[in-house]
Amino acid sequence: MSCSSNHDKNIFLPKNAIIRKASQMTAFETHFTLKMEDESEFIYEPGQIVEAGLFGYGEIPLGLSSSPTQQGSFELVVREVGKVSKALCALKAGDTMTIRGPLGKGFPVSEFVGQDVLIVAGGIGLCPTRSMIRYIMDRRDEFKDFKLLFGARSPDELLFEDDLAYWRCSSDVNYLETVDKPNDRWKGNIGVITTLFEGIDHLDPATRVIICGPPIMYKFVIAQLAKYNISEHHIFVDLERRMKCGVGKCGHCQINDKYVCMDGPVFRYSDIKDLEEAI
Amino acid sequence: MKTFFLSDGDLDEFVTNLIAKSPVFAPVAKKTRFVFNQLESVEDLRLDYDTTILPPKKLFVPTKQDLVTFEHGKYEECLAPGKKILFGVHPYDIKAISMMDWIHEESNFDIYYHSNRKATTIIGSNVQNHYKKAFFGSVCKELKVMGHDMFLTKIADGYLVEVLTKKGDDLLPDGNFTDVSKEQIKNAADVNTKADENCPSKLKNTSLEIKHKIRMYYDSDVWKKKSENCFSCGSCNIVCPTCYCFDIQDEWALEPTSGKRYRRWDACLTCEFSEVSVQGGSENFREERAERFRHRIMRKTSFLNDKLGGPACVGCGRCSGTCTADIADPVSIINEIMEK
Repeated sequence: MSCSSNHDKNIFLPKNAIIRKASQMTAFETHFTLKMEDESEFIYEPGQIVEAGLFGYGEIPLGLSSSPTQQGSFELVVREVGKVSKALCALKAGDTMTIRGPLGKGFPVSEFVGQDVLIVAGGIGLCPTRSMIRYIMDRRDEFKDFKLLFGARSPDELLFEDDLAYWRCSSDVNYLETVDKPNDRWKGNIGVITTLFEGIDHLDPATRVIICGPPIMYKFVIAQLAKYNISEHHIFVDLERRMKCGVGKCGHCQINDKYVCMDGPVFRYSDIKDLEEAI
Repeated sequence: MKTFFLSDGDLDEFVTNLIAKSPVFAPVAKKTRFVFNQLESVEDLRLDYDTTILPPKKLFVPTKQDLVTFEHGKYEECLAPGKKILFGVHPYDIKAISMMDWIHEESNFDIYYHSNRKATTIIGSNVQNHYKKAFFGSVCKELKVMGHDMFLTKIADGYLVEVLTKKGDDLLPDGNFTDVSKEQIKNAADVNTKADENCPSKLKNTSLEIKHKIRMYYDSDVWKKKSENCFSCGSCNIVCPTCYCFDIQDEWALEPTSGKRYRRWDACLTCEFSEVSVQGGSENFREERAERFRHRIMRKTSFLNDKLGGPACVGCGRCSGTCTADIADPVSIINEIMEK
């Protein structure tokens, strides 16, 4: 047994971040732009997570929704579902929240460079994958064909409206979207996210794929990808679990011998497909 | 390693000197069972204990441990380890402590655990009486008993004392330690071998055989059958010397400007352990009793083996003895699967 971990650092002690901007995106989600209070640059990789918190309430794990190509600030989206997220969503520009991280393993960007990329995001799964989407858009020359599939339950739950508007008309990304339940104004696709594959005749089998969405979504999307002979080695899933401590100790996010907070949240599908509780 | 003899008559003086030096936590009687408590007098010491209700992990990770205090937007870590002596730890619990040492060190160093651990001197002692459910003689043989500072084995007229570290050395002036004979060393070795052999319960296979076969039975209906009477109370987790899962909570003081963040023991057998809040409800990644039951056994027999060098079970038998529904005994579950 040998050890390389830092013995001086307290892994449970957060740092303060100042909220530069807070905007409500939907009835449940608030979008925060933050900067570390000590003016240090927050260094992270697309797909990594943080424990965002507020003393007196607690901490919750969140995937970074900005790309490290954007200097000077970073972004998080909080969905109001419980005590901590409700307290965080009440924060305004100028307020402080605490940040621990970045934590875990993100997307292996170097494996995506020079390849076709397909990102499949369902609902709030767009938030962590946006870190990679924006990375690719900012360094577009480094990647080949880029397809993005996004599915939401209803038009009222569409996230990042400005981004969506841009992606819809950009030639840098082949963006397809759908909603499960349309409203009167919706003129786009209707149906679950897998129906978007009907519009894709061909995918290069070497395409690098990212999937993030509600737990039920993964196996159906993976079944679609098999039809295009995409290697399981090239599929990356971004998983959600109860990552309470974020540092591989508390046990809540454990899937067999893997800790989602530390070994993930991004996993290569071929590495976890045999872990019964993973997908 | 240095070896000495400490006579029965000299044990009292040694322990009394230790108590005068720093808090000593040792097995004492509590009704019909035993607990590790702070020793007020050597008369309370029960080195003849079978096992304690809770393992000594509570000294390194208290059931509720403050992590951070906060006040008016400022916060600071709560680290105040006090020097102490943990006396009379059985070999299986020493193995568990060495596993906990590693778990709290690898990848991300847990300063709260290790500051308490560093401040503690561990004196082990041999098993003089067996707990009715103990099976330590047939499990986790890959791991050596290590990480302690001193070890006492009861032999005729006294104890064979092994001094293993500098911390152990530092205690030598506190007792009348005398030379030991080769025969006494052999007698002590025999005592410890017999303690292993005389366990009332036994696994029939090696850790490696168990690891592979249990893993193959992941989808077996044995989990559902075995867990039918499980109350999901988590008692098996709480008394386990190698369970370390915890929850983190914030708590306000009476005035809403200050408070603390603490962690407390948690249990993977409880329903809400793997639950996450989602919009309009919750998602539970281990919703069924059988899944949680399987997770515990898998975690003890196979998930952590590569990390620890052996199974995360030391055979103390506490889970088996504490389970109200009498379904937690790893020996019964493992042997049943191995016989299939």
